[in-house]
Amino acid sequence: MERLCQCKWNMSSKNWKSAISELLGEFSFKATTENLLQTALETRELADPTIIHENIAIPHCRSILVDDFMIIIGKSDSGIPWPEEKVSVIILFISPVKPSGPSEHMELIKHLAKALRSGGAEKILSAGSPAEAASILKLSYEVNPGND
Amino acid sequence: MIRELEKLISLHDLDIMISDLIDKDIIKQEKKLGLSPALAVEQLRKMRDELSLTIDRRYRDLYDQLAGHYGNAVVPVVNLMCSGCFTQLPTAFSPSTEKNDQVETCPSCGRFIYWCD
Repeated sequence: MERLCQCKWNMSSKNWKSAISELLGEFSFKATTENLLQTALETRELADPTIIHENIAIPHCRSILVDDFMIIIGKSDSGIPWPEEKVSVIILFISPVKPSGPSEHMELIKHLAKALRSGGAEKILSAGSPAEAASILKLSYEVNPGND
Repeated sequence: MIRELEKLISLHDLDIMISDLIDKDIIKQEKKLGLSPALAVEQLRKMRDELSLTIDRRYRDLYDQLAGHYGNAVVPVVNLMCSGCFTQLPTAFSPSTEKNDQVETCPSCGRFIYWCD
């Protein structure tokens, strides 16, 4: 899948809300957009936390506020309570709303589910670099200036 | 951005989340990831109802009508064009420093519009 992702290594957040904020901050959203996306992602987590594997969470949503897929992998050495169980890898993604419907969003979920099966989850937890983490998820890694 | 417009956008995003989580293909993939879409959708519906009640009744009623008719009630303006009906907006709608400071609708299709920032 030729989807770009960013990575945020050594996250400093101590709770799940600030972790979402820290990851959204890696994108160049304007303040209002960032706040509304934060609200959407928080709402999804409050409905049912998106812990998919021991130590991995995948906060995600579709929104009219983005016009392309926004994917970022975050990693925290100390772990972040989500909201109780700690996670050390966060795969956050936001899909655009398109007239064609949610098929591309579904394809991305399917792609991630496949990549994380058969040992993928364990591999990403032990990934030593952003590029390696992106490679495990079969995503193209986009280096974010000031963060590699 | 005016708070009422923010609420309409959040309501729209919530409706998308709910519709995704009742889509059988997405349910299948979310379950493969280990998530519980049925539990999430139940909670999201409650949150949607709570948010909806905080929105001015005029806008809420119009939102429900538009969502029922078009499927999407809130759309961004891109290059002075309503991205719902793809009609060029009159120049009177040109963005200014006050964009998104009031709730506006497309003069052609009636959807709520907001300016991307």
